[in-house]
Formats: sequence, C-alpha cells, structure tokens
Amino acid sequence: MPVKTSDIIFILTILVMSWLISFPMNEWFSETMPRHQILQLPAMLVLGIISGVRFSKHIIIGFAWGIAILIFILSSLIFWMLPHSIDYAVINTPFNRLMHVNMLISGFLLIPVLRNTLSEIKIIFLGMLSAMVIATGFTLLSYNLLLCSSFNIEQQKEAGLQLVIIGLTVFASTIFIFFRGAGRS
Amino acid sequence: MKKILIPVLSFLICFTIIWKWTFGFSAFTIFSYKLQAAGDIPRVFPDIPLINQKGEVFHIKEKHKYVLVNFVYLNCPYVCHKVNNQLEHIYHLFDRFTISSKLEFVTVSFDLQNDGLEKIRKYRNYFGSDIDGWSFALPYQSSQESFNQFLGKIGIWKYTIPGTGIINHSIYLFLVSPDNKVIKVFDPARESDKTIVEQINSCL
Repeated sequence: MPVKTSDIIFILTILVMSWLISFPMNEWFSETMPRHQILQLPAMLVLGIISGVRFSKHIIIGFAWGIAILIFILSSLIFWMLPHSIDYAVINTPFNRLMHVNMLISGFLLIPVLRNTLSEIKIIFLGMLSAMVIATGFTLLSYNLLLCSSFNIEQQKEAGLQLVIIGLTVFASTIFIFFRGAGRS
Repeated sequence: MKKILIPVLSFLICFTIIWKWTFGFSAFTIFSYKLQAAGDIPRVFPDIPLINQKGEVFHIKEKHKYVLVNFVYLNCPYVCHKVNNQLEHIYHLFDRFTISSKLEFVTVSFDLQNDGLEKIRKYRNYFGSDIDGWSFALPYQSSQESFNQFLGKIGIWKYTIPGTGIINHSIYLFLVSPDNKVIKVFDPARESDKTIVEQINSCL
C-alpha cells in the first residue's frame, strides 16, 4: 500500500505537537495544576485519539482484547489522577513523559476498541469515565487540604472545578450515545 | 477461556500496579506515601543534632521523655502557623506536671537557608513566655542533603516550589517515646486537638 503524502504530514504534525507538549513546553505545563491536569494530560490523549481516528480504520480488535484495553485505559487515567502520581510527574520529568506516552497510546487504542465494541460497553466505559472524572473533580474542589505538594490550594480547587465540567461533558456525551444507539435499535 | 483470561489478566496487572503505588490503597498523596514508606510504627526516630532557641545543642534520643516533634518553616504563608497555633492549644491542654516531667514539644524548622536562631527565638516569643518544655530548634551543623535524608527516614515529604521559596511539606506530628521510637503519628489537619491529647495521654 503506497504511503500518502498527507499521512506523512499528519504523522509529522502529531510528532511535532507531542514533542512540543512533552519537551519545550513541559516546564510551562508543570507550573500549575490546571495546566498539568486539564491541558497537558488531555492534550496527549486527544493527540492519540486523533491518530487513532486516522490510522486505526483497518485495525480489528477482538472483544476480549477490547475489554482488556478499556481496563488498561481506565486504570491509566486513574493512575495519573492520583495526587501521588501528579506530584511525582511534576518533580520527575522522565516519569511525566511516561504519562505522555501512556496517554498517547491510550488515545490511539481507544478509537478501534470503541469502534468495534458493543454500544452497551461504550456506555459503561463513558459512564465510568465521567463518574471518575466528576468524583476526582469534587474531591479536589471540596478538600481544603493540599493534596499535591507541587501546587497550591487555589490551583487544586481550580483544577477540581474544571474536572467537574469535563466530567459533566463526558456524561452528556454518554447520554447522547445512549439515545442515538437506542434510536438505531 | 481466552475471552475471560485476557481481560482478567489486564485487570490484575493494572490493579497490582495501583495497589503497589498506593501502599494497598492507603496512601494516595505523596505525603502519606512517604510516611508509609518510612515503615511501620513503632520505629526508631533517626538521630540528628539540633540546636534550640537558647543555642543549646541536643538530641531527641537524649531527652529520655516523650517528645512531640513537628516541622515548620518560618516564612510559611499559612499552614505552618496554623499548625503551630493548634500545637499551642494542645500544649495548654496538658498540665504543668506532665509537660515538665514526661512530655516535651520540639518544633524543628527545615528552612536551613532563611531560619536562624534569632528568628526562631523571636517566633517562639509569639507563643508567650510560659511555654517551658516547648523548644524551637534548627538542625545543627547539618548539610541540606543529610537533613533531607533525615526527613525521608522520618517520613516527612518536603518540596520547594521553584522560584517561589514556598516549601510544601507534610505537617504530621510525631510522638517519640523515651526509648527514641516513633510510637504515634498525628495529622493535625484531620484529628482534633482533643483526640491528639487523649492519644498522647494514653501513651504517657
């Protein structure tokens, strides 16, 4: 199969953006909690998703492997949302880059898995994801104790509020997918 | 069989990683992780020479009393002063006899660059003149590296936010027994003064 020029440009764009986020702009992203949690982490996930949308059309993932990958993605998100992981990622740059690679791979794998899986599984996955994000958001928002030593309480609360908004958006998408699926069936 | 095995295996691997990372789902922050990583209590309180507000060098292990140790830095914008105010309240909940004969309080500063003897002396005066048995101290002839190692052994996490001078750190209170063992760790942000005093009294 010949490689298209547009594909090469696309791959290069993704690589350059990943490099920018992970290397020159890493310090800026690590300065505040919202930048680290609400911008850097999702940015890598979104880059992975965009790559997945473009290149995973011919990837067929079986049901069992699909579930295994969804468990891996959810666990990855849980892991990187733990205050301990956030702190360590800010202090230790290689560990932070591990997060970037993890998010990139998770985003890439998410698309073929969701494409080939049952709509019930999609709803469960998105429901769990939104519940997790909302719960984390409320925890950060309601705690008056500093949970991450690299940041301050104001940033913690700001990140919490933004996570709640993201979680609610994911929840709204879940409902949309549910009703769209119900309409089709 | 394979259909079940792959997701189960994936779950087990992910579960184990998160389990290990959080000390069995008990330490989610770097503060609690460091505390747990220091080991179970009772454990030996590491030795370091300290110098108090009077310029006297001492070791916690040579007190041969119960000692309640906490760590602060004097340029702290908020939390350290709040903890010390709480500690002042706890101090006054004990009677004179207990403080002088069985129990001492030691507040150690970990800002080796900015906190000196004069500064801790002045700071101590804010708590009044009737606080015998509560020393404010600095590490004596200790490099930053060895002091950091000492903190790590106790289970204290500290991180200086670059460019701000703000040191985010654990605020635990450590109760050290006369035989120099950490026997209780209190979190003043979560435990009330009354509970802390009751628990200390149960050890005395």
